[in-house]
Amino acid sequence: MMLKIENLSATVGGKKVLQGLTLSVNAGEVHAIMGPNGSGKSTLSYVLAGRPGYEITSGSVTFEGRDLTTLAPEERARAGLFLGFQYPVEIPGVNNVYLLKAAVNARRKALGQTEVDAYEFLQLVRAKMKLMQMDESFLSRGVNEGFSGGEKKRNEILQMLVIEPTLAVLDETDSGLDIDALKVVARGVNSLRSANRGVLLITHYQRLLDHIVPDQVHVLARGRIAKSGDKTLALELEKRGYDWVIEAA
Amino acid sequence: MTAAFPDTRDENWRYANLRPLAKARPEAPAGVALPSLPDPPPLEGYQPWVFVDARYLRHSPAPGGHEFATRLDARAAGDAFAGMLDAEIAAAGVDFALARMNARRGDEVLHIAVPDGEHAAIDVRFHALSAGGTGTSYPRLQVQLGRHARLDLAERHLGAGAPDPAVNAAVDVSVGAGATLTHVRIQDCAEQASVFDTLVANVAEHGQYRLRTITLGAVSSRTTAFVKLAGRAARCDFIAASVANGIQTHDFFAEIDHAAPEAATREIFRGIATARGKLAFNGKMIVRENAHDADSDQSLKTLLTGSGAEAAARPQLEIYTDRVKARHGATTGKLDDQMLFYLLSRGIDRQQAQALLQWAFVEDAISQVELAPLRQHIESLVAARLNEVSSLDGLVNRS
Repeated sequence: MMLKIENLSATVGGKKVLQGLTLSVNAGEVHAIMGPNGSGKSTLSYVLAGRPGYEITSGSVTFEGRDLTTLAPEERARAGLFLGFQYPVEIPGVNNVYLLKAAVNARRKALGQTEVDAYEFLQLVRAKMKLMQMDESFLSRGVNEGFSGGEKKRNEILQMLVIEPTLAVLDETDSGLDIDALKVVARGVNSLRSANRGVLLITHYQRLLDHIVPDQVHVLARGRIAKSGDKTLALELEKRGYDWVIEAA
Repeated sequence: MTAAFPDTRDENWRYANLRPLAKARPEAPAGVALPSLPDPPPLEGYQPWVFVDARYLRHSPAPGGHEFATRLDARAAGDAFAGMLDAEIAAAGVDFALARMNARRGDEVLHIAVPDGEHAAIDVRFHALSAGGTGTSYPRLQVQLGRHARLDLAERHLGAGAPDPAVNAAVDVSVGAGATLTHVRIQDCAEQASVFDTLVANVAEHGQYRLRTITLGAVSSRTTAFVKLAGRAARCDFIAASVANGIQTHDFFAEIDHAAPEAATREIFRGIATARGKLAFNGKMIVRENAHDADSDQSLKTLLTGSGAEAAARPQLEIYTDRVKARHGATTGKLDDQMLFYLLSRGIDRQQAQALLQWAFVEDAISQVELAPLRQHIESLVAARLNEVSSLDGLVNRS
């Protein structure tokens, strides 16, 4: 079991958002988390990444056998957890390429590996940028500085591809993307799929799942998993909306 | 100490720490044995001039053979500068007290006069050798640019052995019509140094004064600057950056006087106070009645990263005409939590992430230093102060 969340409750600013959430993700699987606004989807992603202000009140989260909740955000990242932000932050003055390299080296160090060779690194980044249809000029720009919404999302996926995490939590990576950009992002995510990686795909809409086919689909409602199923559940949600799931829960 | 000496009850001096200067002995002794001087990277195409305790040590011939800089006796310098500064000093009172002291006690002046249409590049280094207990040094620069002349000037104040030198510098600038002065000032004196400087500039019509001030050293520093945009469409670009670590106090007072139509200013300050560091930037903009269509833009930002750190960024506007564009913004804040979390979520150490964000903050100003080798030198000095930024490789845009 790669990720095991048991009976997790969490508050944000004193407000209960997650209320007894249980979810397991095996290596090699892609799980989609869907749900209406305010159901706790983004909160789940921040709780997993360790964002300050998101307090776990009960339950447990185990990631590859380790208690994730005892780790600082940077330790979680080095352990192989990646959060793709819904709203990526702009950091003028820090280059994209610097951040990428620092992130890769932090992960390599945690794995007991030497720092990445500068030439090989650049080759790798260039190849991934090509896949994401990003111009190389993005490398020398400040992190997300002046990027459009779609460019920011591509940049998140680029970071993920370069860092090669074990578990990627992608928070509404599809929001704000036109159909062409959606395909590019999906191609990036699919290229990372492998038997030893997991993906938690948080999304509002079924359309992303046409391009990234999930192994399981979960509906999050009122802070817990209200229903789980295979990819056909997403199609059903698209037709019928969320109310029937919430009422039945 | 004369009666006209400033103290912290004066509004323009309330953040300044004047005690070290009051304690220091008046004059640095001549002929102190020279230690090996720190050797900052030479600037290609610039003529170097080196002073120790404000006394001439050496210089190289000017590239191209045109000597635009000369050494003048301090007493003669006032005449050479056509009395411009003296008239200002006489009128302005306490804010010029330190410059008056410099004029009275200094030995010599480096006088740079670039004639009409000529171009020069000069790198002046002032090394402070004597300890404050031994004596204060009084470096002085006078700069005169003729019509459509250009000068690229680096002015560096550096340490040289003594842990606690005292420096009271003065710079007088006259930018002629259509002339451009690019003036990069770096203060990187010893940690316990006390450094004071007064800059007075007059910019004629269509003249441009591009001033970049980087303040890193000294336990206590105070920069006082008066820039008069005296001619139509005169322009000043005033970019300042400072990092106050430990118990350092860096205080700035900058007054820019828009005294002619279409005078324009862009003023940017980025300062970081860490630990118990203190920072103050008081930016005063005056727009005179006749300065219609003047344009002034101020952005003063300070960042506090220490529990005992203090900062004050104060824009002041005095506007006497309706036809003016004046924008100003001032913030004092802490590191952005969202940015910090973003970096942490990529596996970057907390300390390194904090240093990176500090770097990014101050780089906003440093990136405005046009000359690449000088900017890189400044960046490495700043990185060394933000000690978790161990390598600039890839961090800085080299383009």
